[in-house]
Amino acid sequence: MAPLVVTETFLPLVEAQAKARRLTPRVLVVPHPVGGLNGAELAGRIEAAAASLLPMADQARGTA
Amino acid sequence: MTDFDVAVVGAGVAGLTAARVAAESGLRVVAFDRLSPGGQLVNLTTVHDYPEPGGSAESWPVVSELVARAEAAGVTMRFDEVTHVRAGEPVRLETGGGDVTAGAVVIATGLGNGRLGLPGEEALVGRGLSTCAGCDGPLYRGKAVAVVGDDEWTAEEALELAELASAVTVLVPELPTWSAARAERLAAADRVAVVTGATVTAVHADGVLEGVTVRTADGERELAVQGVFPYVGRRGPAGLVEAAQTDEEQRLVTEDGVRTAVPTMFVAGDARARAGQTMSEAMADGVAAGQAAVAALRPVTGPSLTIVDPTSGVLPAEEEAGSLAGGTAGWTQVALFSNSKPNATELLQGMGERLKEHWQLADLGFASKPNASTAADKDTIDWLAQCYRMVLVAVGD
Repeated sequence: MAPLVVTETFLPLVEAQAKARRLTPRVLVVPHPVGGLNGAELAGRIEAAAASLLPMADQARGTA
Repeated sequence: MTDFDVAVVGAGVAGLTAARVAAESGLRVVAFDRLSPGGQLVNLTTVHDYPEPGGSAESWPVVSELVARAEAAGVTMRFDEVTHVRAGEPVRLETGGGDVTAGAVVIATGLGNGRLGLPGEEALVGRGLSTCAGCDGPLYRGKAVAVVGDDEWTAEEALELAELASAVTVLVPELPTWSAARAERLAAADRVAVVTGATVTAVHADGVLEGVTVRTADGERELAVQGVFPYVGRRGPAGLVEAAQTDEEQRLVTEDGVRTAVPTMFVAGDARARAGQTMSEAMADGVAAGQAAVAALRPVTGPSLTIVDPTSGVLPAEEEAGSLAGGTAGWTQVALFSNSKPNATELLQGMGERLKEHWQLADLGFASKPNASTAADKDTIDWLAQCYRMVLVAVGD
C-alpha cells in the first residue's frame, strides 16, 4: 500500500499517470502549495492530512 | 533522422569521456575539436594530482588513452571548429565542415586561454605572450618572465618556467589559492618571486614584449620581462551556445550537475559554471554528461523503452503488472518517501508521527529522491516495495 500525499494542483497528473498504469492509488489531497508554509501553517496541513490518513490506513490493514 | 545521436563539442578530458560513455551505450557519437584531442592536457607536460591526489603522470599518454578508449567505443572524431550550437530537437551545430544535427549535445569546450584584458595584448601572442610553459618555455631560456594568476596551474607553470628562465615573477591579483605544498615548492625554487595584490595595467612592446606595468598597494612599477604568461581572464563558451545562461566568466550555468535548462544540452568540464578545474572532476563530469545524454535519448533511441502519454497511457505488460506486487513485510513496516520538494519531508514526517503513534510503531523507514528535479531511483523504489508494507509518498509542490 502506498498512499500518495498529493497537493491539489498535481492531482490531475497523478490520476493520469495512475490511469496509464491501470492503478488505483489511495490519494490524500492537501491544499497547494506545501512549500513555503511556515510552521503553524504546515502543522495545520499535517493535522488535516493525518485525519484522512489514519482511517485510510486502518481500513487497508483491516482494523477499521 | 539526425546525423548523430550525441555530438560532443570539445575533445578534452571531459569531452572524450562523455563521448566514450555515450558510445558505449550504443549511440552514434561524434566528438569535435578544432585542433587536436586532449584539451588542456596538450598544454601540460605533466598532469598533477592524477591518478590520485599527490600523484602525477605525463600528459600525452593520458591523452592517448582517452582517445583510444573513445575510438574503441565507436566515437567519430572530427577536427572542425564548432562555431555555433542551436539547442533544440534536433540540436544543430554549425561547424567548419558544415552543419551537423544530433539528438543531444555535450558542451565540453573548456575555457579560453588566459588574457590580461589589456589593449594590444592579442598582437603579442607568440611575441612574448603565451599560455603554455611546456610549449613556449624554451623560447625564454635565460630571460625574465612574468606569470599572472593565483591557482594551482599558475604555480605549476611558474615552476616549470623556473627551470629555464633567468627570473620568474608570479603576479597574483589578490592572494594565492594554490596548495601549501605548491607554495613550499615556489618558495624553495631559485629565481621565483611571488608578488600578491598585483595587477598588470599595461604591456609594453616594440614588435615583441619588452615589459609590463604592475600595480600593487605600493604603487605602479615597470617590470622588464620578455615573456608574460597570463592564467587570468579565462572565459567560457558563452558565445557558442544560443541563449545559454552563463556566469560572469561566461561559463555555462547548469541546473543540476551537468544538465542545463535545455533537456538535450549538457555541460561537462571547465566550461561548466562552478567547475573545479581538476582532472578528476573533468572525468566525473564527462561520465555524468555521457550518461545524461544517453538517458535523454533513451526514450526515442533505446530498444526496450516505450513512450507513455500520461493523459491516455498504455496497457502495462502482464509481467510488469506482476512485478508491482510487494514483498512479505507486515503492517509494522511503514516508510516515508519524500519527493524532496520544500516542506514535503516535514509534511510526511508529521503525518508519519501521527500514524506511528496511532499504530504504536517502533520506527518508520525513510527514503527520498536525491533532489526534487530528478526521477526517483529505481533501486530505491524496489527496496521500499520489498521491505515495507506501506509507504507514504509525497507528490506535489
